[in-house]
Amino acid sequence: MERRTIFLLAVLPLLVVALALNLLVGYRPEDMPGLIGAVLRFEAQSYEEAVLLFQRLPRSLIAIYVGSIAAASGFVLQSLVRNPLASPATMGVNAGAALFLVAGALVFDIGPALQGVAALAGALAGFVSCIVIARFAGRRNDPRGLSLILSGALVSMLFTGMTNAFLLSDPARRSEFLSWVVGTINHAYIDRLAMFWWVGAAAIVAFLLLARPLTLILFGAEKAASTGVNVPLVSRIAILAAVLGSGSVVAVCGPIGFVGLIVPHMVRPFVGNNLVFALPASLATGAVVCLLADVFAREALYPYVLSTGLVTDLIGGVVFVIIVKRFYLTPANREAA
Amino acid sequence: MQKVKRSILLETRHVTAAYGKLEVLSDVSVRFRKGRLTAVAGPNGCGKSSLLKAIMGFLPVSGGEIVLEGEPVARIGRKKLARRIAYLPQDCFCPDYMTLGELIELAGYSRYALVGGPSERDRALYRQVLETVGLSDRAGFPVNKLSGGQRQRAWIAMVLAQDTDIVLLDEPVNHLDMKYQFAVLELIRELTEIYGKTVVAVLHDLNLTTTFADDVVLMRSGKCVTSGPVAETVTTGNVERVFDLKTQIFPRDGRLVCFPERSGQAAVS
Repeated sequence: MERRTIFLLAVLPLLVVALALNLLVGYRPEDMPGLIGAVLRFEAQSYEEAVLLFQRLPRSLIAIYVGSIAAASGFVLQSLVRNPLASPATMGVNAGAALFLVAGALVFDIGPALQGVAALAGALAGFVSCIVIARFAGRRNDPRGLSLILSGALVSMLFTGMTNAFLLSDPARRSEFLSWVVGTINHAYIDRLAMFWWVGAAAIVAFLLLARPLTLILFGAEKAASTGVNVPLVSRIAILAAVLGSGSVVAVCGPIGFVGLIVPHMVRPFVGNNLVFALPASLATGAVVCLLADVFAREALYPYVLSTGLVTDLIGGVVFVIIVKRFYLTPANREAA
Repeated sequence: MQKVKRSILLETRHVTAAYGKLEVLSDVSVRFRKGRLTAVAGPNGCGKSSLLKAIMGFLPVSGGEIVLEGEPVARIGRKKLARRIAYLPQDCFCPDYMTLGELIELAGYSRYALVGGPSERDRALYRQVLETVGLSDRAGFPVNKLSGGQRQRAWIAMVLAQDTDIVLLDEPVNHLDMKYQFAVLELIRELTEIYGKTVVAVLHDLNLTTTFADDVVLMRSGKCVTSGPVAETVTTGNVERVFDLKTQIFPRDGRLVCFPERSGQAAVS
């Protein structure tokens, strides 16, 4: 059997296992049948069952949303800007969304719904700043796109610094918004997921409909156009979907960094670059990674609970270094990506 | 008169085009005849590739027009044009891990609905295409792991899978050694002879041109010097005008052979 088929067949059971782990780790084995029954009936008869249904299940749903959208957006961005380091976290998208959300909440005192809209606008602002600065830095003479990633880092630092300034200026309310410095998955954010899930869903639909033309763009703009792809239109829709989808993730639970960077690199060796297969694989793998990172964040230093974003940042940082070393510092691999 | 016109599928009329200030095509008028293999030849930088790019709409045309069966190409949408003309750029790049089967399946994009993929008819065509290029056993193989000659045939398979009447090939045998050059050109020849396609190929080598092409367009510095059937167009006078090179041209086994004379000088301006 092909590697791709094996991967696609294996990732769904893996998703179920990760979800079960996320929901059930820490409970006594003898309680399991009752707990699973409670989830299936969606009815809590004891304290444990209530915790499971109203704290753990929301967390799991948020983790699945965040992981799948970030991973798919990362794959699309890496394909379109032809850069293995591209992702919502490295291109200023997450930092922009966080800044606009925090500024909106603390300065203009807007409620959760408008905060979400601010996050979407911020995601766009972050992405556009990154591109504009990269242009000024001479992206055209830079075939490996290093300037794009550096300007993304610059924008992220600047925006995160401004976010911190807003938070420091408001000691009374800042603890409420600390999640938007490092993403935190918390059951309380399920209301925000209920408000914004459709943004991510629309992004996924757009990605899946455009999977074939996006793959053709990988062959170069002229080859793609000669096979009938409207390259500017497809690129714009896909980038908009990726940026707004990532913005909605930040709106729900803050920037869960680097999932969008690392998952495409996990998926690609097994599934390849054809987005018809790579997108479903990224969606599922992203969810698995986030569910497991969330379990780790909860259980590693129990009874202290880490921010899930902190865990993904730690994993992502290591992977970032590996990619830089392989792609930028190894001469033999220059043409590989 | 009417009959002559109908045999012309694609035509450029006084086409002028430029990259910024650099004019790469000036007043080029060429007719490509149906079912023929036309070679576009000339020295480096003479506008051969630009001519194909202008036809595809990748190079903005500032004067004149390009006409496909009476319809200006500029007014045909991307998807519609993709069903009429297939194009193979000079340097093709295939993403890693992409298999030959996927490559061919993607080529039919212009025929697929927004949701959904190849039809039964498409799949039958793809099997036939793989057979034509002699790579039936390689469908599941990554394109980047094929040998040079096989990879070039894979790109031609992608162009064939697009199922168009017209095929534009930009230097299809450029990086190949002599054996593969002949094999690939033999295959391209089959496209016209067996499938009745109209093929325009940019070729460097005059001897490959005289061996395989029906018609030839000779270009120099963005202008079409002359064009027509190979036997009448490839003459010592025309070759000297285009390449600045004295040649002996003589018929051999029903085709022309060009044999450049040594100039005795190391540098040619």
